[in-house]
Amino acid sequence: MIQIDDLTKRRGPRTVLDRVSFTAEPGQVTAFLGPNGAGKSSTLRILLGLDRPDGGTARVAGVPYRRLRYPLRTVGSMLDGPGAHRSRTARDHLRWVARTHGIPVRRVDEVLAQVGLAEAARVRVGRLSLGTGQRLGLAAALLGEPEVLVLDEPVNGLDPDGIRWIRDLLRAHADAGGTVLLSSHLMGEVAGVADDLVVIADGRIVAAGPLDRVTAGYRSLEDAFFALTASREVAR
Amino acid sequence: MTPRAGVRFRDLAAAELRKAVTLPAVRAAVLGTVAGSAGLAALNAVGARGALGAGAAGAGPVPSAFDIAYTAAPLGAAGAVVLGVVAMSSEYAASSADAGGGRQVTATLTAAPGRLGVLGAKALVVALVVATTAVLAIGACRAVATLVLGDAAAEAVGLREAVLRTAGAALYWTLTALIALAVTVLTRGGTLPLVLLVANGSLVSFSLLLSRVTPWAYWLPDLAGRRLYGGLTTVPGGPDAVTGAWVMTAWTAALLAVAGLVLARRDA
Repeated sequence: MIQIDDLTKRRGPRTVLDRVSFTAEPGQVTAFLGPNGAGKSSTLRILLGLDRPDGGTARVAGVPYRRLRYPLRTVGSMLDGPGAHRSRTARDHLRWVARTHGIPVRRVDEVLAQVGLAEAARVRVGRLSLGTGQRLGLAAALLGEPEVLVLDEPVNGLDPDGIRWIRDLLRAHADAGGTVLLSSHLMGEVAGVADDLVVIADGRIVAAGPLDRVTAGYRSLEDAFFALTASREVAR
Repeated sequence: MTPRAGVRFRDLAAAELRKAVTLPAVRAAVLGTVAGSAGLAALNAVGARGALGAGAAGAGPVPSAFDIAYTAAPLGAAGAVVLGVVAMSSEYAASSADAGGGRQVTATLTAAPGRLGVLGAKALVVALVVATTAVLAIGACRAVATLVLGDAAAEAVGLREAVLRTAGAALYWTLTALIALAVTVLTRGGTLPLVLLVANGSLVSFSLLLSRVTPWAYWLPDLAGRRLYGGLTTVPGGPDAVTGAWVMTAWTAALLAVAGLVLARRDA
């Protein structure tokens, strides 16, 4: 369960988040949609305790991220790719992450196999393709067998097979009772996997709710997305 | 013992150690420092042997292998700077564009949100790696000097003195590396601290220049700590070895405290 309440964030004179509120429920895949620069990453960075809000709260499993005990056992996340140093191997990256939580090495090899990286385990991160880098980021997210998954643009750079694979993975995670929050700037990418939509434009939530309700009255998801995000641009 | 929030410090320190030993830049810095110091000691030893061969009796005291080895120690501190800088700058280096543009600091701080703990674990690991490197380097220098000088040298430096002087150099290197770590937290990139601190330690010492203007410069960390290199000749002025060590330690602690404060408060 993720609860975002009244989140405000300013950078200099610019308000990047303006009283952003929404929830992501267990058992659901929640898609967090918006054009580039709308505030998706800023929201997720605050949710994960990386940046501080100027106002409001972001809670996961009832507490702010920084108060979680063994955070990776509750939340698995990926922001901006795997966040791995380019000169370390994929496996060495996962091993230090696992070490912070006392997670056994066996689990590292398990997640590498799960995301299809067993072959590339000893390849340096700098030599991985965008898609393989994303898979490594997912492996790190899955390491602690978390209840909540927070993924920023996870399908970025994946081939069609990869996209289907990740959809199946997220669906299965939600069906097992987990909470999934994934951001995307492309509506089509999340169609078919999202249960709930949260649409952000220009730092404000412009629509939120079950997929069919948010898209009611539009011909397609794509139309709904453009109409919802464009109206804000005009209003500005 | 389970932590109230975040992860256990013990696990965090072990993770930071794993990060350090699996980073090629760290391995290269350790090897480069040991090999470079040994090379310098070899050159010094060859020079001393030459002087001994050419010089008749009475050309001066017979050189000690340890003394010759030890002259390489101050330059080796450059390796310590690299180790301190890389420990932090590697967090902020962008991954390749292909594998996604993220930086490691995201992974680090989501795994361990307690930032003071992260800095503490890094400092501990840097100190451990640098002190070990110092002992290895000086040991290698001594071995090389003994090898080159052969029977020509009489060892005038006793074990106790050798241990003390090695410990002094190791402490200087360690404090230098921790200062480099703290500065890199503030700059979030390695280039500036590397250039400044390596240049200060090997080419031009800014504090030494400043000491021409004001005697307060002797209380800056590098000048205050310089007598930790026991037995090496240095410019006069400033505190003695023990006081100087405390002064340099205080600087290091203060800089780490500032780094911790900044790291804890700013956006990652």
